[in-house]
Amino acid sequence: MKITGAKAVIQSLLNEKVEVIFGYPGGANMPIYDALYDVRDKIRHILVRHEQGAAHAAEGYARVSGKVGVCFATSGPGATNLVTGIADAMMDSVPLVCITGQVAASLVGTDAFQETDVIGITTPITKWNYQITSAQEIAEVFAKAFYIARTGRPGPVVIDIAKNAQFEEVDFFYPKNFSLEKYKNFNKFTADDLKKAGKLINSSNKPLLIVGHGVIISQAQDEVLALAKKAHLPIAATLHGLSAIPVSFPLYVGMTGMHGNYAVNKLTNQADLIIGCGMRFDDRVTGVLSKYAPKAKIIHIDIDEAEIDKNVKTTISLVGDAKKILSSLLPYVKKNSHQEWFKLFFQLKKEEEIYHQKREEKFKNKITMDKVFSVLSKITDGKAIIVADVGQNQMFAAKYFNYQTFNSYISSGGLGTMGYALPAAIGVKIAKPKELVIASCGDGGLQMTIQELGTIMQERLPIKILLLNNYYLGMVRQWQDLFFEKRYSFTYMQNPNFLKIAEGYGIKGKRVKDFSQLEKSLEEFVNEKEAFLLEVVVEKEHNVFPMVPQGAAVDEVRLE
Amino acid sequence: MIKTVQYNVVCENKPGVLYRITNILLKRKINIELLTAYPIDSKKVSTVNFTVNVEESKINNIAKQIKKNIEVIDVNYLVIS
Repeated sequence: MKITGAKAVIQSLLNEKVEVIFGYPGGANMPIYDALYDVRDKIRHILVRHEQGAAHAAEGYARVSGKVGVCFATSGPGATNLVTGIADAMMDSVPLVCITGQVAASLVGTDAFQETDVIGITTPITKWNYQITSAQEIAEVFAKAFYIARTGRPGPVVIDIAKNAQFEEVDFFYPKNFSLEKYKNFNKFTADDLKKAGKLINSSNKPLLIVGHGVIISQAQDEVLALAKKAHLPIAATLHGLSAIPVSFPLYVGMTGMHGNYAVNKLTNQADLIIGCGMRFDDRVTGVLSKYAPKAKIIHIDIDEAEIDKNVKTTISLVGDAKKILSSLLPYVKKNSHQEWFKLFFQLKKEEEIYHQKREEKFKNKITMDKVFSVLSKITDGKAIIVADVGQNQMFAAKYFNYQTFNSYISSGGLGTMGYALPAAIGVKIAKPKELVIASCGDGGLQMTIQELGTIMQERLPIKILLLNNYYLGMVRQWQDLFFEKRYSFTYMQNPNFLKIAEGYGIKGKRVKDFSQLEKSLEEFVNEKEAFLLEVVVEKEHNVFPMVPQGAAVDEVRLE
Repeated sequence: MIKTVQYNVVCENKPGVLYRITNILLKRKINIELLTAYPIDSKKVSTVNFTVNVEESKINNIAKQIKKNIEVIDVNYLVIS
């Protein structure tokens, strides 16, 4: 029996067991929306308020559900509005399939109304993209798109469907167990590689294991713990590796990188062995490359071969799935103890705490972002999913919330997209309706995607919005403070009455500016059953430390 | 040190594949000095050859980045000088 291309699209999504779509209809995808109407009891469609929100919501959904996030947008501006989210997903290895409408094939290339070269625009920021101009192509292209998005190192795929293909009729056969020869085997390590890696770990006196997002994607947390326990390895996490390992785990020593922990950054350059697992030695992690870990041999575990030797030259690389590699590596590793090495971490941790105390003293009885997250962490026992925006709030959320549940810190790391948190929290809450989901935003970031309050209202999503308002673009202001002689060039913001905006969307809210009210307000916020906006007015000029200044070595980390 | 490198890419003969390959060069601001592309193997597969001047440390990474593309089957390179 023949069905229309639009129905074939929806049937393909059902075959892929898609349950949620984030999208926005328009002229070029109306046939698909019409077909979606028939299956609205099977597929939940979330109408966002801007296509960027659809992409970020799909990212949030994908990151906590382990499924592919799906979004719909129309041609032209609908598609270009997705671009930030697609680029974000590419940088952070998030599986997305974005389906954009396109003008009819006969009009492509004529500068037709709402035509844009979506394939041209998205090529550098997708794993794969394809323009469908005939309904015949739909089934296979969809099977291929979903397979590519979720296989290996995950990432975004764009399918651009010309309007004529949505109307055309076609016999629909969906390929079963689609696969590509190229993606058949990601595990390219040998027993010899494992043996050599084991030998390096066994002979190391100052090892450091750094876990990244790959550990979360591969769900290799148990394997990480087993290896670290056996070889007695200090575990550090990158920003995206946060919450792979509970913060309370005794071998966990903190975060790496620009705003990572003092001890981790200092001792990276003392280590004789760095094991990077599911991470890519990004510049925010390494500081200036020429001075990164000069004494260390490097074992790099990653599924993407192109990441090996890209930034840091490895001694041994193990290419493949982190879970598989770590479990295969374990028998080659001997039981060991590094008590003296661990002592150094604890000593330097104390030093960081002294400086932290000094700042606490300076801001006594005032609200700073670190205190907000410390109190929130205490109230929730570290059991909440924090969806952090970008900037100071993101770093304070990373450092002062004691993540106890797996994969509970969701943020835009690679692209650093302001405005990410609110829409991403929508996707997270839909995937995890029973979890406490908190969107942490600054006053700048919230206003970049604030219209998604409408989506929260319409879908009745009990998302907790924690607005940390310092009336500044805080991270830029911090850099101006430290590196531009306090010339606060255009970082001050005159802000609206956020509570009235929330009220307009039927969302309850509260404003707190007095430190004595902070804990009580956060308790109310956490216990509230519906969506809630808590605006916390925080100190205007409070900086995130430690900090590795740009262009400095990681051991040149500043404590103040 | 800058080296002159000749890359040979075997890929599917489809629209946009060359664009994906050259994008990897563009992203790194690398100019193409010489380029040939033609179908082989009953037109399903193409060979793309190009010569670039590139920093020595980036040579292998460029090959790996090109190889990541879905339509790319194989990548080899030869350092000419």
